[in-house]
Amino acid sequence: MSTTTLPQPSVPALFTSPPPIQDTLNTQTSLLQSSTIQQCLPYLLNTAIPRTTPVNVHGVPHLTREKHIAFLHKTLSSLPSGYVGYDASRPWMFYWAFAALSVLGEHDAVVGYRERLVATVRPMQHPEGGFGGGAGQMAHLAPTYAVILALAMVGGEEALGLVDRRALWRWLGRLKQADGGFQMAIGGEEDVRGAYCAMVAISLLNLPLDLPRNSPAWSREGDTLLTGLPEWIARCQSFEGGIAERPDSEAHGGYAFCALASLCIMGEPHVILPRYLDIPRLISWLSARQYAPEGGFAGRTNKLVDGCYSHWVGGCWPLVQACLDGPSLYSPGSAPVAPTPSVGSLYSREGLIRYVLCCCQDRSKKGGLRDKPGANSDGYHSCYVLAGLGSAQTKWHFYSLKDLSSNDMSSEPQHAGQLMAGYQWAPEQIVEEGQVFDEVDRVEALDPVFVVPAGVAERTRKWFEVRRF
Amino acid sequence: MGRYEGNPVWDDVVPIPQEEGEGALAQIAYTDEYVEAMGYLRAVMAAKEHSPRVLDLTEHVISLNAAHYTVWLYRASTILALDIPIDKELEWMNEVALENQKNYQIWTHRQTLIDHIFPTLSSDPAAAQAFADAESAFMAEMFEEDAKNYHVWGHRQYIVRKFNLFDSDAELKSIEALLHEDVRNNSAWSHRFFLVFSNPAYTTAGSRATEHDPKIPDAMIDRELAFAQAAAHEAPQNQSAWEYIRGVLRKGGRELATLEGFAGEFVRIPEGGEEDIRSSHALDFLADAWSEKGELDKADMALRLLGEKYDRIRKNYWDWKRGLLRGAKV
Repeated sequence: MSTTTLPQPSVPALFTSPPPIQDTLNTQTSLLQSSTIQQCLPYLLNTAIPRTTPVNVHGVPHLTREKHIAFLHKTLSSLPSGYVGYDASRPWMFYWAFAALSVLGEHDAVVGYRERLVATVRPMQHPEGGFGGGAGQMAHLAPTYAVILALAMVGGEEALGLVDRRALWRWLGRLKQADGGFQMAIGGEEDVRGAYCAMVAISLLNLPLDLPRNSPAWSREGDTLLTGLPEWIARCQSFEGGIAERPDSEAHGGYAFCALASLCIMGEPHVILPRYLDIPRLISWLSARQYAPEGGFAGRTNKLVDGCYSHWVGGCWPLVQACLDGPSLYSPGSAPVAPTPSVGSLYSREGLIRYVLCCCQDRSKKGGLRDKPGANSDGYHSCYVLAGLGSAQTKWHFYSLKDLSSNDMSSEPQHAGQLMAGYQWAPEQIVEEGQVFDEVDRVEALDPVFVVPAGVAERTRKWFEVRRF
Repeated sequence: MGRYEGNPVWDDVVPIPQEEGEGALAQIAYTDEYVEAMGYLRAVMAAKEHSPRVLDLTEHVISLNAAHYTVWLYRASTILALDIPIDKELEWMNEVALENQKNYQIWTHRQTLIDHIFPTLSSDPAAAQAFADAESAFMAEMFEEDAKNYHVWGHRQYIVRKFNLFDSDAELKSIEALLHEDVRNNSAWSHRFFLVFSNPAYTTAGSRATEHDPKIPDAMIDRELAFAQAAAHEAPQNQSAWEYIRGVLRKGGRELATLEGFAGEFVRIPEGGEEDIRSSHALDFLADAWSEKGELDKADMALRLLGEKYDRIRKNYWDWKRGLLRGAKV
């Protein structure tokens, strides 16, 4: 597996030649698709000028870790005035950098940011619950999600203890809508991101599920924050089988992940996903998002590959595969064993790994990861490209806990204490003869539901379980 | 001295600075102009002031950072509080939207304002029609920049629902125009599906997009199939058209096998000879049609061709489907 002495590296024709069937009619979509292939091919073949790079026998370059690490730290340093567009989403920068650094194994560096993170986000908490993008801004579910996960990654009393859970719970009640979904902010849009961000907060922070009386969704005793939510998510599945931002919209990779992960917080994948979604159509749509020769994923039908979907689409696969397989056998400390028969991998892990390592790395001094060749690297793409790489190198096992009551949604849970399905995942490294990446380029996979390093969700949840609400 | 400091209009306001320590993460080196405007914005928000000058201030901040959701939400609440006409606001928003293609906030803002005027607007059908037309014209302009802009399509669905344009000829025609320009525009296909299969006039309320709706007239199913089949002829490898055909069949409760002959036009598999496949999606369609009919060997052969030759990146998926056929045989 040396990268210096070479037999001529061999790249399978699948990744070097245009698709076998192409229409003669050209439209803007097909022209853009062709030019994207032309843009990617030199990177897949390693003939990109001026920068050809050492590759292994499979024709795949190394992960330039040090450059990416330096880039990620830089996204947390002082930023020039041109970043003003991020002024309402700075918490995302913390989340993206911490998550990406964790994938690269830089856990100590992440924890090292604890004090600065705490000082930075404390003023972002809104007195009436939730976090805004900065001090004095309104609370919004996107920055709230990012802050909570960033705090969870650095961990510790000082970080986790700063969240006002009671205010957060009351605010979530105000966001909950009568149709079951969540608004992103009071007066803001209702979409499937809202469902996911809310479920992550409710579950990780062990919030009560009771619906606060101030909620616009409150109609009768016994309603909860979860009432009608899986049904609302189900309405977001489109005729193509993928999942949209909201009912009747176009299926989209980002929203598909939010929907599946929300459901997998509320129940076990093999139970809850088939109950609310048409699984064969979902899988057909998901599978069609992977293209050759590029190898990566697109977010919608007839759109282009983009590195960020390595996570948004790639991250759907562990949830869907667990849905088909059912629970693995596992007891902490031992290796998880998949049930037989297992569906194995339903997508091309090799294709995704090639796309990430060949096409998504900025190999210049700048470092970082990107959408596609020709695009600039940034924190967002660095996070989700690396998350996708980790997922492609890992098999996630969902396992059942025999001693816990079922996560069945038929008896609606009244305490988050019953929402345990999100914490029953165990990673297994995939080591294969002929794998296209070298072992030095193995990275750590993020949790398939909460998208934080393995173990962080469990640790955070336990921390809150033993504290008074 | 800045735009606000020393300005008699703002004399009574004491700006609230954003105080951040030295070590704050991802601290942005704001321009002086932004720092000043945000200081005044924090002050008026703290005082819950909703006045005409707040509109000037929020417009200024938005010109510096259109992704600032707080400013948009506060601006909306100010407009509602002042109860002023929104024509000028819409005009201004059009320009901001054209310059900020990926912005979420502007669409929420637009809808908040439309919800606000709708009760008045809807009492005058001509005015409502004119308003909806203007919205369509503006969206057409947005589509010239990016015909797959997700936010604009979301707004289009909102407008169709709000003004009940499901039966509007113009609406369907404009989708056809977009598809005429680019038959692979999946957003336009999606919108068409919504128009036809969520029309409250003849569909079952709450029917999911992936399920049979017995209330839909047969003629409607036939019309939509004919439309999508023509599109598939134009560009056989266009997945959007095939997904649409499957979706329509599902809504109509019809089997895939009813279009076996059509799909077969794109797939020739002579015995012993070289096959001629003009669409991998047609082959996929036939595999499912044959599986439906119990012709499992033929279905298996189609799936094998997909995995080995015509759509190899998805080989694992095609193999999994072959496994399901074997399961079905037992």
